[in-house]
Amino acid sequence: MIADIAGDLKIDNATTLSQASAGCQLRIRQLEGKACKRLREIGFCEEMEISKISDGRNMICSVCGTRMALSRKLADQVVVEMV
Amino acid sequence: METIALVGNPNSGKTTLFNALTGANQKTGNYAGVTVSRVSGVLRTPHGNKFELLDLPGCYSLSPNSPDERITRDVLLGDQEGADLPEAVVCVVDASNLERHLYLVFQVIDLGLPVVVALNKVDLAEKQGIRMNVELLSEELGLPVVPCQANKGKGVIDIKHAIRHPFPHVASRSWSADKAVEKAIDDLAAALKSDGVKTPDAHAIHLLADSVYRTETQPSMDRGVQKQAMDVADSVIREGVAPEESISRARTKRVQEICKVATRRQDTGGLTRSDRIDGVLLHPILGWMIFAALMLAVFWTIFRVSEYPMGWVDSGVGALSDWVSAMMSEGDVRDLMVDGIIAGVGSVVIFLPQILMLLFFIGLMETTGYMSRAAFLMDNIMSKVGLSGKAFLPLLSSYACAIPGIMATRTMDSAKQRLLTIMIAPWMSCTARLPVYALLIGMLLAGQGAMVQALVLAGLYLLGTVTAFIAAWLLAPKVKGTEETAHFIMEMPAYTVPDFKYIIRHLLERAWFFLYKAGTVIMGICIILWALQTYPKPKEGTPAAEDASLALEQSYMGRIGHGIEPVVKPLGYDWRTGTALVAAFAAREVFNSSLAISYSVDEEEYEEDEDFLAQLRAQMAAATWPDGKPVYTPLTTLSLLVFFVYALQCLPTTAVVKRETGSWKWALGQLGAMSAFAWLAAFAVFQIGSLFI
Repeated sequence: MIADIAGDLKIDNATTLSQASAGCQLRIRQLEGKACKRLREIGFCEEMEISKISDGRNMICSVCGTRMALSRKLADQVVVEMV
Repeated sequence: METIALVGNPNSGKTTLFNALTGANQKTGNYAGVTVSRVSGVLRTPHGNKFELLDLPGCYSLSPNSPDERITRDVLLGDQEGADLPEAVVCVVDASNLERHLYLVFQVIDLGLPVVVALNKVDLAEKQGIRMNVELLSEELGLPVVPCQANKGKGVIDIKHAIRHPFPHVASRSWSADKAVEKAIDDLAAALKSDGVKTPDAHAIHLLADSVYRTETQPSMDRGVQKQAMDVADSVIREGVAPEESISRARTKRVQEICKVATRRQDTGGLTRSDRIDGVLLHPILGWMIFAALMLAVFWTIFRVSEYPMGWVDSGVGALSDWVSAMMSEGDVRDLMVDGIIAGVGSVVIFLPQILMLLFFIGLMETTGYMSRAAFLMDNIMSKVGLSGKAFLPLLSSYACAIPGIMATRTMDSAKQRLLTIMIAPWMSCTARLPVYALLIGMLLAGQGAMVQALVLAGLYLLGTVTAFIAAWLLAPKVKGTEETAHFIMEMPAYTVPDFKYIIRHLLERAWFFLYKAGTVIMGICIILWALQTYPKPKEGTPAAEDASLALEQSYMGRIGHGIEPVVKPLGYDWRTGTALVAAFAAREVFNSSLAISYSVDEEEYEEDEDFLAQLRAQMAAATWPDGKPVYTPLTTLSLLVFFVYALQCLPTTAVVKRETGSWKWALGQLGAMSAFAWLAAFAVFQIGSLFI
């Protein structure tokens, strides 16, 4: 019972990378969508901590120190949680 | 000689390390059947061994997203035609980015070849507060890991020590996927082995890890093997597991485990200097203003600053021409030298400084890291016409020359985007047009300042670019392909001081290529053009023998020109311009040469101190129709400029488009459509303009 509630709370904490606001430290929860293999190869993989630097049609994220620009459509496929 | 392959992610410093390992012993060739260039060099180890080091195209993984990356995979799997399986692999990783770069290392380990990991940019990692235990990393991976700093030459000798005979042990695979997938890997490997596939394990893993590899037709892949792989994969999928998903998860999990053990990252939450610069340069409004200002500054400099070196070349050509005239006795050979070769080639070579200056600015953008920012900004506009921001780099390179531009599309991940970019690339005004633009703008705006000329030049570039974007927008629905992969994702490297060594080497290469072309192809065409306008010589005693321009009209060129005249007259051109236009289909610069040759016959008196280019412009300004009206009115000049913006007068481009798209349909369609559009646009400019003037 308690575990379920905790699970729900954890789910609530999750948003997609495109919805997260700029300046946040985030952890990637999961990838869902067609481009997830590509995203993983390029560095956006589960459990990775990233930070969103700027928002916009294309956003900039910091993935282990490297700045990556990616489009909103791709960011929609990345589910993140606040750290 | 045994071959060692060098692989690594883009921006891992792979090429820098390649240069450090091989020094000057490099050689560039081509892979069979494709245009990806094969760069290799000789590596000498301190033990006296000699190896061929093969620089493979950079990639994030061995599942290729572009033709370039496909080469990397096929060479490493031993499937590339005409290339043997390498004996060992040096895998370059960026120490400051280990989490991202180790993924490729795992894929390389799974190939079953001896691997040495070059841990590059250790200084950068240290600066970012990353502590790493190289020994532990090496133990976890099960292979030698050599820290190095390729740009400073540190650690290079250690890498050479690590690649000695016998090669290091082949590391065993340290990740494990779901049980069903593991079983499938074993089954498939056994099946492939009995089929006689050379590296069954590597192929089995890769076939299961990449669904595209096993389902789509690959030139390097046997259909039977693919069929087997599909059957095995299907049986796994029936159990509810996607093999590629399972393998990629297992690999990333292992990467994270290793990183956790071997590295410690201090908090780097703060914004770096690059981020603060990006805050300004990528600002939605300010960023654009800076981008536009930079571009205008580039064009202004091309006009204003290059005047000086152009003056030197100009007087050099003039002096050479005078010297040759004085040294040789009168006759056909002297005419050929002075009017044919020197005037023709000189009218092209003069523009070398402008071309180099444009390339210098492109190099500056590339090496400082601004190029990817420009792509980021441009993606906003380009996505509106169905192009990805990734097309920006190939298109910008096309301003130098469409051929490297078209070849640069090989790094694009979407086939549709690639084809679209190739189709419009020739409308980015290339440097071969620059001599023609400069000659004509100089005539059109004689006496105006450099700023006005730069604005008009920038306007021509803009005209080509905007039309190209519209064309892409119209063409996009007609090109088959999926939209899925076209999303924009791009690494933004930190801003750095420009790499002048690289820029200068590149400039020298291009300058040599340009001069080589001028000395061979263009000189050849000049000789033919000169012969066409000189022969047949009028008979003694006929009126043409006395009158040079009448003789020209009776020459072969005159006859050809008059044949062409009906086609070009509606555009406002006389037969000489028409001939020059046709000759320019071989190479655009020849337009200048052709005019220089055909006007050199009019031996009217010009002031001696006028330089060569001014003289050509004066001759053109003095040219008249039979009824005495000037040929080169501002309207005609404008119509010519528009023609050159649009016409695809470059046979090598058509050949490269054929090679890159693999079909004559697109190549010839492009040639026909662009030529027809050029004619129509020039026609419209001249005819509509004539109504008002």
